[in-house]
Amino acid sequence: MLEVRDLSVRYGVYTALHGINLQVKPGEIVVLLGANGAGKSSLFRTLSGLQRPSQGEATYDGQLLTLGRPERCVNLGVAQCPEGRLLFSQLSVEKNLRLGGYTHRRDAAGNQAELERIYQLFPVLAEKRSDPAGSLSGGQQQMVAIGRALMARPKLLLLDEPSLGLAPLVVDQVFDAVVRVNEAGVSVLLAEQNAFAALGIAHRAYVLEGGRVTIEGSRDELLHDDRVRSAYLGV
Amino acid sequence: MLILFQQLLNALALGGAYSLVALGLTLVYGVMKIPNFAHGSLYMVGAYVTWALLTDFGVPYFLALGLAAVALGLLAMLLERLVFYPLRGSPGVSPMIAAIGVLFFLEACVQLIWGPDFKLLNSPVTGIITFAGLSLTGQRLLMIVASVLVMLALFYFLKRTTTGATIEAMAQNREGARLVGIPVGRVASLTFFISGALAAVAAALYAPTSLVSPSMGEIMNLKVFAIIVLGGMGSVPGAIVGAFLLAFAEIFGGVFVGANFADVVGFAVLVIVLAIRPQGLFGRTA
Ligand SMILES: Nc1ncnc2c1ncn2[C@@H]1O[C@H](COP(=O)(O)OP(=O)(O)OP(=O)(O)O)[C@@H](O)[C@H]1O
Ligand SMILES: [Mg+2]
Repeated sequence: MLEVRDLSVRYGVYTALHGINLQVKPGEIVVLLGANGAGKSSLFRTLSGLQRPSQGEATYDGQLLTLGRPERCVNLGVAQCPEGRLLFSQLSVEKNLRLGGYTHRRDAAGNQAELERIYQLFPVLAEKRSDPAGSLSGGQQQMVAIGRALMARPKLLLLDEPSLGLAPLVVDQVFDAVVRVNEAGVSVLLAEQNAFAALGIAHRAYVLEGGRVTIEGSRDELLHDDRVRSAYLGV
Repeated sequence: MLILFQQLLNALALGGAYSLVALGLTLVYGVMKIPNFAHGSLYMVGAYVTWALLTDFGVPYFLALGLAAVALGLLAMLLERLVFYPLRGSPGVSPMIAAIGVLFFLEACVQLIWGPDFKLLNSPVTGIITFAGLSLTGQRLLMIVASVLVMLALFYFLKRTTTGATIEAMAQNREGARLVGIPVGRVASLTFFISGALAAVAAALYAPTSLVSPSMGEIMNLKVFAIIVLGGMGSVPGAIVGAFLLAFAEIFGGVFVGANFADVVGFAVLVIVLAIRPQGLFGRTA
């Protein structure tokens, strides 16, 4: 279980996150809604050890994530599919995926099995396995990025705006895959601006505004919350 | 005609040596995104270490080559830890100026220990192979064979091993590499080790056909920077193609224009290529 306690992040004098509290329980899909600049990526980067918090902490199953050591977070079972994907664009799709399994490099058989599972989840990647990742379409690259994170065999998957710039049909495909991953036992924290699609698959959600959690609740509570409806669902 | 074939073999030998030095430089640039202006001095120290092992300690040639490779690999790693690592995240020019400082520092150290005068590194591989009127000294043949073998080994390492893949991954997306759990600090150390070892191998192979002096590092620096700019900064195939292009331009420039102008021809090629392709032969436009 992920527990974020009183977490603040600062960039110089600018405070991007002000004392965030948040949990993701085993098996949940939790959505983090927030407009541009709300602080979603700042939170995700901190949970993956790319950014040190100025205050507070985050733990996974009681182990500290916020030591600024990304490999530790991966080893603890927290993998991220980042905003902008950050793929190794000249390496093949398969090599990108295999590097996702870097922390399990001594378990070749396990990595092979995981690779096959990812090719089942995204059959198009099996077709393109030898192509440079950078040559794929945006949607396919997003699948590589998700697949690369899954190769770490995470217990918690952090997905930062996976629908960004994708056609509605591809967004559905990606979200279907997220649901299937979740059904296989991986909990998910999903940052989105696409509130309608995201709440459709969520168990619970948080709304982040100006670096603060302003609303939290179950999916149905948020779907019926007037502020969410007007600000994020456009109704 | 025969003289051209003869020069072709000489150019291959020279290109092999240039390749090894340029490969290390381009790998380090790819991973760290800094031009290591101290790289040429690793080559120079590599030549002196080989020379000292051969003459002062009587170590057999191939063992000396191996020991020099390990020693320079470690020196390059130390350089990364002491100079580049503390300067990470500081404004662009600081690491470059620091690297130039290291270049002069190492040159001064070598002068202090071994003196400023030229040393002759006797070719350990004697004999001349003659075939169809062409003659090749054993040392040049060794240069060609050894540099090809080292390049093949490097390619195998980069393309077929997980550790090698981490170097390419870090060069292409540092944050992405960190996110999958690759320890980027260790990859940086490893890349510097490889660059130092390759420079020492090149020095041990090439020095017996020329002279060893403290200033040889600066000259090699100029050449390998020309090579990786020519090939495209950070590109592995670019470094190899650039190295052979420069070697051919120098050797054949020497034949057709006169030996005194050999270096000028090499840099003329650089200028022409960059005028047509500013990003280098294998570079990508940013
Ligand atoms: N490295 C940085 N240095 C300075 N300020 C930053 C940095 N990264 C983010 N910020 C600032 O922190 C705030 C939160 O940014 P963040 O990227 O976390 O938002 P976000 O919710 O992910 O937005 P988006 O939906 O546009 O991705 C923004 O005001 C941004 O300008
Ligand atoms: Mg963001």
